[in-house]
Amino acid sequence: MATPATAPLLEVRGISKRFGGHVALHDVNLALAAGQIHAVAGENGAGKSTLMAVLSGALRPDAGVLLWDGRPVALGDVRAAQDLGISMVHQEPQLVGSLSVAENVGLGRLPSRRGPLRVVDRALLRKQARRALALVRSEMAPERRVETLGVAPRQLVAIARALHFGARLIILDEPTSSLSPAETDSLFLTLRALRDRGTAIVYISHRLEELRALADRVTVLRDGAVVMTAPLAETGNDGLILAMSGRELVAVDAARDERPAGEVVLEVRGLGRRGRLHDVSLEVRAGEIVGLAGLVGAGRSRMLRTVFGADRPDRGEVRVRAADGSWRRLGRLRDAIAAGVGLVPEDRRALGLVPTASVADNIGLVTPPGTRRFGILRRARLREFARRAVEALRIKTRGLDAPVRTLSGGNQQKCVLGRWVGPEARVLLLDEPTRGVDVGAKAEIHRHLRGLAHRGLAILVASSELPELLALCDRIVVMRQGRLVGELSREQASAPEVLRLATGTR
Amino acid sequence: MSEAAAVPVPVVARATWWQRLGPLLGLALLCLVLAIASPHFLTVDNLLNVLRQSAINAVLALGQLVVIITAGIDLSIGSIMGLTIVLLALMMRGGTPSFLACALTVVAGVAVGLLNGLLLTRLKLPHPFISTLGTMNVARGAALLLASGVPISGLPARFRETVAGSAFGIPSPVLVAGVLYAVGHLFLTRTVWGRDLYALGGNREAARLCGIPVDRRLNLAYALSGGAAGLAAVVMAARMNSGFPLAGSGAELDAIAAVIVGGASFFGGVGTAGGTLIGALIIGFLRNGLNLLDVSAYWQMIVIGAVIVAAVCIDVLRQRVGRE
Repeated sequence: MATPATAPLLEVRGISKRFGGHVALHDVNLALAAGQIHAVAGENGAGKSTLMAVLSGALRPDAGVLLWDGRPVALGDVRAAQDLGISMVHQEPQLVGSLSVAENVGLGRLPSRRGPLRVVDRALLRKQARRALALVRSEMAPERRVETLGVAPRQLVAIARALHFGARLIILDEPTSSLSPAETDSLFLTLRALRDRGTAIVYISHRLEELRALADRVTVLRDGAVVMTAPLAETGNDGLILAMSGRELVAVDAARDERPAGEVVLEVRGLGRRGRLHDVSLEVRAGEIVGLAGLVGAGRSRMLRTVFGADRPDRGEVRVRAADGSWRRLGRLRDAIAAGVGLVPEDRRALGLVPTASVADNIGLVTPPGTRRFGILRRARLREFARRAVEALRIKTRGLDAPVRTLSGGNQQKCVLGRWVGPEARVLLLDEPTRGVDVGAKAEIHRHLRGLAHRGLAILVASSELPELLALCDRIVVMRQGRLVGELSREQASAPEVLRLATGTR
Repeated sequence: MSEAAAVPVPVVARATWWQRLGPLLGLALLCLVLAIASPHFLTVDNLLNVLRQSAINAVLALGQLVVIITAGIDLSIGSIMGLTIVLLALMMRGGTPSFLACALTVVAGVAVGLLNGLLLTRLKLPHPFISTLGTMNVARGAALLLASGVPISGLPARFRETVAGSAFGIPSPVLVAGVLYAVGHLFLTRTVWGRDLYALGGNREAARLCGIPVDRRLNLAYALSGGAAGLAAVVMAARMNSGFPLAGSGAELDAIAAVIVGGASFFGGVGTAGGTLIGALIIGFLRNGLNLLDVSAYWQMIVIGAVIVAAVCIDVLRQRVGRE
């Protein structure tokens, strides 16, 4: 392990943590220097979250020491870590929506006036909040209620809060997963400014491009152990992926093959919803994978949900060609399901999975044809349906009856996908199918989607990750402000071209 | 699949095993302690007596379970009991044949329960706590109005003997509860409806996106809970030989306690008919044992309150163990 040029602010030596029989962290060493952005990468389950929980005081390690400014420290709890100068900013910033920005910044340490009643000194609080917000380059009003803010400003509030608490080390857990590219750029500017002020930053992300754009050094974890620590400039993407997954990935482009495009299966005509969607028309053929690109808020999710029938349109129609060649007009969500249309929604935890149910029940949730008779479940057939999905998608699970929440993110996502890939499937709509999924599972999901296209499914996939769309799709349509603003063939499609359409610049 | 075998998830398997057997172990332990503490406990008479006394709460708890599985709550079942017991007594006094009157009583319970559901799904009230709190007061008021505030007594002897008597040596209320639990278990585990209730309780949006008609299922859950309250009213009327408008006051709380002690989760998606039955029995045996041991009614309330909190604490603890 190379030593950083400056003396580390926080040094982690030989940290181990076990949960029952499972080794979550094994002899982890890490040196975090002031004025440096240190990326921590690794697949889901590699131990990133456990390590961050140890650093932020939420978990006590079984073995090993933490040295803060060269002195050994014990982090009893989160508060102790904060007092020391370590704060964590979670993926979903933990703020109180009904309170103001200033109150959230000062929460837990509100300044009070003298006297027994400890009345909050609002003027001082506002001043403190403004100062902290200035450090994150934000000019939002301290009086504003946090629930009126989007994700990006919330993150800034959370970072401002950490700075207000005197943080010298800030840990960010996948902060960009629901930010638009512009918001991401702005956040990066803020983080760089903090770094240049001397703050140490630990940055966790799945997205290699981001790590590259932001971080100075990277540490890769696999199976609870550090497999690599190096300056990013000296590391190629292939090396990173290999370190994370422990295996070579088949080059994505080589796997992109020619599929004969079949007849049109999904037809969308003039679909609209006041203020949200405007005159969206689109065709997808059997065997075709069409990408849906656009900035956050461009209406991609809205469009997929409207096509599926989860949101009602004001105008326009959606038709699907059945296996016998006849057209079916969709309206309600149940019509779509009956016609063989499936939706893999954006947020697997909030919209996709029933966490309390088993793998088999999650896959069988749509009650596929032939698995019910007069309202009675035919459990053997239902299990058979689930078993086939588990096999076809190679879902790693202890068994069909394992609770779905015990699976890794990628395998959970495959359970959601598994619902819609039965023999009746015709059209698959996917919204950010690989968000929060590790690199290996992502490549696997891509492979399955190509396989499904081969089977003759018409696939429409929305993603914020351009490389994903460019690698996967036969054609990319771009949305902006609820409209389709352009279509690019595989040959025409490139990142700059898609962005030009998505942002409306020439 | 060889890959699947390599993935270790042992801790969770243990937690689900606990989850299944936890309430049963609690009941066994309770019975053991009571059998040692009181010589009167392990007698056929006493045990049948406990079952008879637990039957009404068990019926109510099964309805409550269906609602709690959907991540809801039904505060109105005690009042629905009061309203339907008065209706039953009025119908019988008016000469309606007993069987028809009983059936109509259950139907009335279903109707009030359906109202709860519609308030939730049509008027989009933010939480069933509110809709059923409203219904709880309205139904009780209606019961008192209909009965002019006094009990209606003198129900047909045949009805009393059938519903409150015994068959095959087993008290009829116990038989009613037993059959209901068998049907309830099959409903929850074998039908599309039952499975849908677990799904929407676990994640309502995910259920909706899988084509489950969430509102209709919620209406069904509350209708079933109301129906269970109507059935409980029939049993209560036969045992008490009276339709009294204050019947079932506070009964919703015992039913909720039985469901929670029986391992269901207030967050929805989790709970079984068997567990709830055990929960109702734990509360019944606890009351009985405390009576046998001459513990005052005041202390009984304190003990039962502590048991409810302890049961949920154990549940929280074992879930934490399961996660780590």
